Amino acid sequence: MEILGFKDSKCVPDIVHPYTASLRNNAVPIVIDNGSYQCRVGWATNTEPMLLFKNLIAKPRKERSKKDTVEVPQTPQLQVGNDIVNIEAVRFQLKTQFDRNVVTHFEAQEHLFDYSFAHLGIDTENRVPHPILCTEAFLNPNSSRQLMSELLFECYDVPGICYGVDSLFALGYQESKPVDNALLVNMGYHSCHVIPVVNGKVMYEHSRRLNTGGWHIITFLHKILQLKYPAHATAITLSRAEELLHSICTVALDYRDELNKWNDPDFYEENIKKIQLPYAAAVATSSLTVEQQKERKKELARRLTEINARKREERLAEFQQKINQLNEILDMVQYGVDEDEIVEAMAEHQIKNVQDLQKNIAALKMKIDKTLQKIQAANNADEVDEPPAKQSKHTKMVFESEKAMHSFLQNIKKMRQEILHKKLVRKQRKQDMAKRRTAAGQERMRIISQLARKEKGNDDFGLRDEDWEIYKTISKDGGDSDSEAENEKLLEFEEIIRVHEPSELDEITTPGETHQLHVGIEKIRAPELLFKPYMLGSSDAGLSEVIGYVLSLFSYDDQLKLAGNVLVMGGLAHLKGLQKRLLADLVSIRPFQSEVNVRIMQNPNSAAWYGARKFAKSPEFKKSLLTKAMYEENGPEYFKEHFASNSFNPTPKGQPTEIDV
Amino acid sequence: MSTEEVKTEPKPVFKVASFQQNKNPNKKRAWKSLKQIITSERALPWPEDVIHYSSINAPPSFKPAEKFSDLSGLHAPYTDPQTRLRFANKEEYATLTDLPMDITAGYLALRGATSIVG
Repeated sequence: MEILGFKDSKCVPDIVHPYTASLRNNAVPIVIDNGSYQCRVGWATNTEPMLLFKNLIAKPRKERSKKDTVEVPQTPQLQVGNDIVNIEAVRFQLKTQFDRNVVTHFEAQEHLFDYSFAHLGIDTENRVPHPILCTEAFLNPNSSRQLMSELLFECYDVPGICYGVDSLFALGYQESKPVDNALLVNMGYHSCHVIPVVNGKVMYEHSRRLNTGGWHIITFLHKILQLKYPAHATAITLSRAEELLHSICTVALDYRDELNKWNDPDFYEENIKKIQLPYAAAVATSSLTVEQQKERKKELARRLTEINARKREERLAEFQQKINQLNEILDMVQYGVDEDEIVEAMAEHQIKNVQDLQKNIAALKMKIDKTLQKIQAANNADEVDEPPAKQSKHTKMVFESEKAMHSFLQNIKKMRQEILHKKLVRKQRKQDMAKRRTAAGQERMRIISQLARKEKGNDDFGLRDEDWEIYKTISKDGGDSDSEAENEKLLEFEEIIRVHEPSELDEITTPGETHQLHVGIEKIRAPELLFKPYMLGSSDAGLSEVIGYVLSLFSYDDQLKLAGNVLVMGGLAHLKGLQKRLLADLVSIRPFQSEVNVRIMQNPNSAAWYGARKFAKSPEFKKSLLTKAMYEENGPEYFKEHFASNSFNPTPKGQPTEIDV
Repeated sequence: MSTEEVKTEPKPVFKVASFQQNKNPNKKRAWKSLKQIITSERALPWPEDVIHYSSINAPPSFKPAEKFSDLSGLHAPYTDPQTRLRFANKEEYATLTDLPMDITAGYLALRGATSIVG
């Protein structure tokens, strides 16, 4: 079985693209596919988007500078889009301008626009002199669009804006000539849309949105893997779950059938995916052998004795020098040198008279003798002086015979088993007590009721000490719980067994095996969320059910046309097996032998951007542009409709919309 | 807080210098969540034929929800009355009884089954 690994791919920071004169002078439109997962930005003259980044900013919290530090608090670096190289490092500071599939947080949106325009190389002062073609959510609320227009016109002073729906642009890209009938299935990050187009018209009223998307699948997969491997919860990150979704997850053709297959151990063995988490090889407690350790200790001891010997010799030399000097003075006294000279010499050594001098000489002689003795002793003891090796806590004990060791080990093992057994019994008892219909539980209830039945008059409970014992028997813990002492004992026994029979307790063969994720049913279970949102506790219908529901809203003829041209797009359209599953589900709900056709769009990820670009180059685009004059004239929520746009419905007056704060 | 940012982060040249999203720099601007937007949108007297964001929510499911094991994802005919987790076979039950509280609670929360009533 091959073992897979994580790529953990990192973002590459974007370069600042050159802002050429032809771009500057021709007011080339900027095409932005502003999706809740990724954003694609490029000039209408490009064939591919120039920038592709996740719509995220990482805003580090300001360091709460302590009061005593005087320095100016630094505003931490704001990271935007592909600046975020390692997304897991800033996971808790991430912000997006999206709430589900709608832009709501315009401060974040401003940062992302800054990022986009800056990396396109725009350097005109106080304005972005290019019309913007920006995608928005299907049926984007007016207030969100109003704030978007406000931002683009008032912050960037753009000459014009055009809004469109990503799915409809993608449809325009996929088909060279306008399509009359299609059922669009857009599978996004936060939601899936089912949008019918009949006779070239978008049927808004019959569209439906499923509020489950890629994000739900990823977080679900993340969570079930974390719960399955609690020890590796921190190593299982959202980015890795996302990687798994794209690398090994598949949509089951028949989920029920597939599950039954997984019940078979052989099938399981064959199809399980093993994924290696990065791990650090267990650090050996110390790489030195016992001999080396001994050697090192000896070396240290030797150095110490050397230092001591040197010190002693120095002292000896010092004493001898002094004694020589004193002897000289004594000689001077004996030969009858000038009194003054003698007094002077003695004063140098702080000696008052001759007796003192002699005393001092005697003392020094003693000291010299002692030091000499010490040196002698040290020289002799050199070899003998090896201290007995310190016993580590559980080093091998020495036994008289193999047999003695064996019996000792057997004994330890037995004691360990006893403790384990005790623990098990206690646990069983605890469980039984908690349930009503077990013998232990009923016995407990019996005792409690008996206690309660005691007549009021002669209640002498508690007079004897034994009375209180009853509480031990009826407590849910069954009287005694796993004690600390017992746990310690258990650890000690295990340690002893490990020392004497290293292979007994741990059976790990390869070091990485404990760091492997076994992903089996999970790889079909996570994508199945799309079809069974109830797995997450949602009451919404699944994707196939929604498609069936949308079809049921049409006349029989229109149903035929729509079912014959189902187009799937969006990031999840890449999932393996999705097309077959949708087809199978559709066939099962359509009339017998009626035409059903499900296609995955080419480039399902970027089709929306290509479609938008195609539109930006068409003559239609100029007519669909909302200019600043119109914005000021018709109110902030106004926009121009076109083939791929939402429909404009002015917010009814009467109650003013409270947009601000 | 935005006043400080303007000072520290150089504003790109292409931006209108005077523009401030935050009309009141002393107060952090609270952006309405989608939920709030939808609620205020629904409260308005829209004409009959207007479709808006909340009117295209997916219908509720009409199919009975199948039961899957919380641990493995297999079909789960049984539910443990104590933890309320679903399980498929006796091996799963054995592991299930050993699970600590936080794990069982995690499984339930994932399935959205934490409410006392359900």
